[in-house]
Amino acid sequence: MSLLGVLLRQCVRRDRVQLALWIVGTAALALMATTAVTTTFGDLAEREGILRLTTVAPAILMFRGTPNGAEVGPFAFFLMCAILGVLAGLMSTFLAVRHTRGDEEAGRAELVASTPASRLLPTTATVIHGVLVNAVLGLAIAVAFLVSGLEPRGAFVAGAAIAACGVAFLSTGLVFAQLFRSSRAANAAGVAAVIAAYFVRGIGDAAGEPSDDGLHRTPLWISWLSPIGWAQRTGAFAEDDLAPLLVSLGFAAVLVALVYAFQSARDSGASVLPGLRGRDRAGPLLSGSLGLALKLSTGAVLSWAAGAAVMGALATSLTPLVDEIGSDVPEVALRLQQLAGAGASLEEALTTTFFSVIGILASACALQLIMRARQEEGHGTAETVLATPVPRQRWIAEHGAVALLGVVVVIGVAMLGAFAGARSADDSAGMSLDAAQAAVAQLPAVLVYLGLGLLLFVLVPRVMIGVAWAALTLGAFFGVFGELLGLPDWVHDLSPFAHSPVPIGDDVDWTGGIWMLAIAAVAIGVAIVAMRRRELVAAG
Amino acid sequence: MNSVISCRGLEKRFGRTAALDGLDLEVGPGEIHGFLGPNGAGKSTTLRIVLGLARASGGTVTLFGRDPWSEAAALHRRLAYVPGDVTLWPSLTGGEAIDLIARLRGGTADRRAYAERRARLIDAFQFDARVRGRAYSKGNRQKVALIAAFSTPAELYLLDEPTSGLDPLMEVVFNREIDRVTKEGATVLLSSHLLAEVEELCDRVSIIRSGRLVESGTLTELRHLTRSSVAFVHVPGQEARIAAIDGVHDLVVDSGRVRFTADSDRIAGVLPELGLLEVQGLTVAPPSLEDLFLRHYGDDPALMGVKARS
Repeated sequence: MSLLGVLLRQCVRRDRVQLALWIVGTAALALMATTAVTTTFGDLAEREGILRLTTVAPAILMFRGTPNGAEVGPFAFFLMCAILGVLAGLMSTFLAVRHTRGDEEAGRAELVASTPASRLLPTTATVIHGVLVNAVLGLAIAVAFLVSGLEPRGAFVAGAAIAACGVAFLSTGLVFAQLFRSSRAANAAGVAAVIAAYFVRGIGDAAGEPSDDGLHRTPLWISWLSPIGWAQRTGAFAEDDLAPLLVSLGFAAVLVALVYAFQSARDSGASVLPGLRGRDRAGPLLSGSLGLALKLSTGAVLSWAAGAAVMGALATSLTPLVDEIGSDVPEVALRLQQLAGAGASLEEALTTTFFSVIGILASACALQLIMRARQEEGHGTAETVLATPVPRQRWIAEHGAVALLGVVVVIGVAMLGAFAGARSADDSAGMSLDAAQAAVAQLPAVLVYLGLGLLLFVLVPRVMIGVAWAALTLGAFFGVFGELLGLPDWVHDLSPFAHSPVPIGDDVDWTGGIWMLAIAAVAIGVAIVAMRRRELVAAG
Repeated sequence: MNSVISCRGLEKRFGRTAALDGLDLEVGPGEIHGFLGPNGAGKSTTLRIVLGLARASGGTVTLFGRDPWSEAAALHRRLAYVPGDVTLWPSLTGGEAIDLIARLRGGTADRRAYAERRARLIDAFQFDARVRGRAYSKGNRQKVALIAAFSTPAELYLLDEPTSGLDPLMEVVFNREIDRVTKEGATVLLSSHLLAEVEELCDRVSIIRSGRLVESGTLTELRHLTRSSVAFVHVPGQEARIAAIDGVHDLVVDSGRVRFTADSDRIAGVLPELGLLEVQGLTVAPPSLEDLFLRHYGDDPALMGVKARS
């Protein structure tokens, strides 16, 4: 038993900072959202309006939850359950893979397995660690709901629902760690499972049967296939039914049994699915450093583009529905207009709002592709490339060019998605033009982030990844939500997104965009010139 | 003047610590130059500066008579590099990585020659080229870099501890390739802390310690500086007579045997004296680079600690 204790302490110690941040962040989100419900949707009629709106535009439910009454408690759970479930799921599947496949891949697991702990005990420690972490997370969420003034019983049920959801994904992550040879593949499968669970229950909610008063909804059976769907079924703050969580725990128990079956049978370091064998010779793409940068970035661009395509399609396909009910719920229309600026029609406002989110996605894509250069440098593979006749400046310029290409692809795909979504609209051509303008308007802000990423790479390589993500998060927060949250103007103006042209109405002001293009060009130029004097910096 | 690599008073500081502290290094054309030193002595740092991946804080360095920092890319056409710790792209197979590095180096212009050398090396190193980078062991990652280096022609091969992950059979293949490229006129700089490897392969040796050159020359020149180790069965009472022999140093009696070192060029004079003493179980070990190392690092307990841990 003390052996297990040692392993368990090691798990906790390794994760303490990361998990503390994750748990506190998730609980803070629950607290903020619930507080926001009471401040922005203060009275019952407003919340009823929002819920009834979903009977007309059920697609909105993809991003929310199961309507279950308009009181503050059920309404907060409706808004937050799915997203909290996703956060718990990601935390748990990463945790599972990190302590099993991750250790095996790094060779640490072999060291531990050679002690009396043997091969299975570390997995047991990971299971216990994961369950405990989810219990703490559930408790933190319950406390968050309690603090924001909701009733204790419902708060406890909501916390338990999220914790059970996390445990279900913990076991899923453990199974993927058995199946795949690399932690990268196992993590990818884990993320895909969480996203799939989110959308499966989204479809279930959107295609469910609304009640007569429009305030409740019975999800489609398909929600029963998703751990997030099980969490929603508790009906926290209303029915407060813990029974659906038995499904989560049963599911987890079966998967954990499967994990032990797999692990008892396989060699340490091996996987259930054989690693795929690849090509013997390099294809034509890999004939230069630019081709290499392209190949290394393809996966990331594709995933950002997929997200952008969905957002683009929603930007135009949702507008007719929102337009239809715009008069019913004026506060929604008002809110959208606030986001988009004055003088906009509701369609334009919605399209612009969606495209500002697409701009954030594209900026994230740009930063991730620049970070690829840093990862290559830290990993040591950049040294291999730069020890050949590839100049440093060309190398970083190529990574910048690939990032630019990635950004154009992401925004272009979003635009195509918007065109597809606009096909059923009355004024399809006009809406497509709006979308195209809104898409182009995002480019300057995105390029500012691209330039910032390059500058950070050249000037402060060791901290560039953290600083770049922080800059994007703050920029997105200040720029898109700054006005809504009533932040001072100068804070709002710090964000590149605040200066993106808003192509609405007759006289579109493009000066902000032009300034940002100039700033981006200078940043990119300075970064490439400064690379001349920059040494390679190892990981750390 | 015609040095392939020339470092004079080379300095490299990381913050307050000096990785290189006035290093001198000369590598002439066609040499197989051994670059010896314990871990942390500054070998990899020197190679990175010679490659233009890092910039010297002081001193001068030339590669083929030119500045490796400002003319890195042009100079890299003429050399092949095998890093000490080879890392690969996780998503590329070994075969893809070999082709990529060789193409980047511009070494695949003669396609048939490249394909022939590549196939021969993959076969000789018994390398499975279809596995993804993340699944290779250290030895196999090293094979990728070695195959990529030796399948392309170069004037200079910079090899940073190239055999540290290879088994002895593969070292034979490695030695054969070194032999081949030097017969073709290439220069090799081989960093190592494996003395046997350097003794077997190299014409000249430079030994560094704490970022400074401590010894440089041909193996024969350096052997003059070393002492042979002599040992035989201890008979009590002889110590004083042994100590009086000319050329005997470091006399100790240890677990029943007398041990001392003798200057290699005086050993012929020492042996008749031992014959008069009728010593039993006599062994005379020839000087090796091990002794050179012990002489240069053995006097400093802290450095011995470094060596023992590495």
